[in-house]
Amino acid sequence: MGEGGTLRSQGLVWLSVGVALLFIYLPLGPPLLFSVGVGETGAGTLTFSRYLEMWRNPVLTGAITTSLEVGAIVAVLAPLLGLGAAMAIRELRAPRLILMLMLMPLFIPGVSAGLATGLFFRELGIPPSLVTISVVQVVWALPFATLIILIAMSSFDPVYLEAASVTGANRLRAFLDIELPLIRSGILGAATFSLILSFNETIRTAVVQGGYNTVQTYIWATYKQVGLSPALYALMSLLIVLTLLLVAAFVVAGARRGRASGLV
Amino acid sequence: MGAFQGRLVSASALWPGSLVLRAFLLLPIVFLAAFLIVPLGLMVAVSFWQRAGLFIRPALVFTSYVTFFDSVRFAILERSLLVSLEATCLNLLIAYPIGYFLAFKARPGTTRVVLLLFTVPFLVNYIIRTFAWTYLLGRTGPVNSLLIAVGLVDRPLDWLLYSDFAVLVGLVTSYMPFMIFPIWLSLAGIERPLIQASWVLGAPPVRTFLNVTLPLSLPGVFAAVIFGFVGSFGDSAVPVIMGGVGYQLMGNTITSSMDVLNYPLAAAMSTVVVLAMTILLLGWYVAFDMRSFLGKILDWRV
Repeated sequence: MGEGGTLRSQGLVWLSVGVALLFIYLPLGPPLLFSVGVGETGAGTLTFSRYLEMWRNPVLTGAITTSLEVGAIVAVLAPLLGLGAAMAIRELRAPRLILMLMLMPLFIPGVSAGLATGLFFRELGIPPSLVTISVVQVVWALPFATLIILIAMSSFDPVYLEAASVTGANRLRAFLDIELPLIRSGILGAATFSLILSFNETIRTAVVQGGYNTVQTYIWATYKQVGLSPALYALMSLLIVLTLLLVAAFVVAGARRGRASGLV
Repeated sequence: MGAFQGRLVSASALWPGSLVLRAFLLLPIVFLAAFLIVPLGLMVAVSFWQRAGLFIRPALVFTSYVTFFDSVRFAILERSLLVSLEATCLNLLIAYPIGYFLAFKARPGTTRVVLLLFTVPFLVNYIIRTFAWTYLLGRTGPVNSLLIAVGLVDRPLDWLLYSDFAVLVGLVTSYMPFMIFPIWLSLAGIERPLIQASWVLGAPPVRTFLNVTLPLSLPGVFAAVIFGFVGSFGDSAVPVIMGGVGYQLMGNTITSSMDVLNYPLAAAMSTVVVLAMTILLLGWYVAFDMRSFLGKILDWRV
C-alpha cells in the first residue's frame, strides 16, 4: 500500500469518526434552540422567559430540589461504597466474582431494575421517599464509581502500605496518609460521575418515586401526558448545560491526576 | 505477569483482624445483594403470583407467562428480539472500526480526546437526546428539508419518524457509545508482538486480522454485544418516543403493565429480559477470562 493510499484511508476513517460524532452530538442542539424561542415550537423571537417562568412553578422547583438532594446523597454514597468495593476486589478472595457483582447493575435494563426494586420496597411496606430514589440511583452509579476508583488504584504501589505497616501505622492511618492522597482525584471523579448519572436517571427513578419528582422524571411524565413544550426544552437545556459543566470538571480533575502521577 | 500472582502484600495480611475494614469492604457487597439480587429474586417470584383486584397474592401460577406467551405480546417479544438484534449489528459495524482505529492507528493523546468526545453525549440523558430526534426526523424537520432542498426527494419522507427505522436510530445513538469502550479496551490490550509475529510470518493484513486480532478482541466484542443487546431489548423510552402510538417493544410493554398495576405480568416479562441477560453474561463469564479484558485495571502495579 502506497503512502497516498494510507493517507486516503486515514482520511476516510477520520471522516467516519466525524460522522459518528455528528450523529450523537446533533440531538444536543434542538432543545437549546427551542428553549430560547428559536425554531419550530418557539415564538420565533429570542426569549429567556421560559427560564424565568420555571422558578414560579412550585412542582418544578420541588423537582429541582429533589434532584439536588438525591444527587448529593448519591454523590457521597456511591463513591464510598465504590471505594469499599474497589478495596474488596483488591484484598478479598474471589475478586472476579466481586467485580462481576459490582458490574451487574450495568447489564440490567432500567425498567427491570426499577420494577424489581419497586416490588421489593412495596412488599416490605417502605413508602416511596428520597431514600428509595437514592437507593436505586446508588445501585446504578456503583459500577461506574467502582471502576473509576479501581483505575485510580491501579497506579498505587502496595509496597507503600507495607512500609506504613513496618513503621507501626494502623490501617486507618495508612489509608488516610498514604492511599487516600494518591487516589483522592479518583474518588472525586467517581463523585462527579455519580452526580451526573443521578441527574440523568429516569426509568429506574420513575418506578420508586411515588409522589416525588426529579427534573428527569418530571420531563418524562409531562411528555407522556401533554407532550413537549418550550418550558420542557428549557428544563432539558438546563440539564444538558449542567451535565456538560460537570463533565468539564471531571476532565480537569482527570488531567490534574494524570499530571500528578506523571501519566500525561 | 498474571493479574493476581503479582500481588506481594495485601492490606488484610498486613493488618489482620481489622473488623472495621472488613465491614467497609463487605458493605458494598451486602448493599448490592440487598437492593439488587434480592429484589430481582422477588421479581422472579412475583411473576408466579396471582392478581387479586388491585393487590397481588403469593401463589405458584403460570397465568402471567401464559398471558405473555399466548397473545399478541409474544409478537412483541419477537419484534423486540429482531429490533435489538438489528440495532446490535449496526452498533457493532460502527463501534468496531472506531475502536480498532483508536487502538491501533491513533496516537494516545488523540485516543483520549476521541473517547471523551464519545462519552460526553452519552452522559446527557438519552431520553432528552431521543426527543431531539423526533424534531430532526419529523416531516418538517431539517433532515426532510435538506433532502428536498438537495432534490433527492420531492415529498417529505414519512418513514423517517414513528417507524422501525426511527426506533433503530434512537437505539443506535443511545447505546453505540456504550459499545466502543469494551471493544477498544480489548483491542488496546492485545500484545503487539502477536500481531507483529503474524506479519513476520508473511500473513497478509486481512489474515492477520481474521486469525489474530479479531479472536483476541472477542471478549470486548461480546461484552459490547451484551451492553447493546440487553440495553436495546429492555429499553422502555425509545420505542415510546420514536415508534409512535402503539409501537411496542418489551420495555414499554412492561411499563404499560405496571401502569395498570398488573405486576405479575410485568414481572414475568421482566424475568424473560433478565433471563436473556443472565444467559449472555454467564456465557461471557465462562468463555472469557475477565483479566484479558479488565486485566490492566485489576492488576497490582508491582
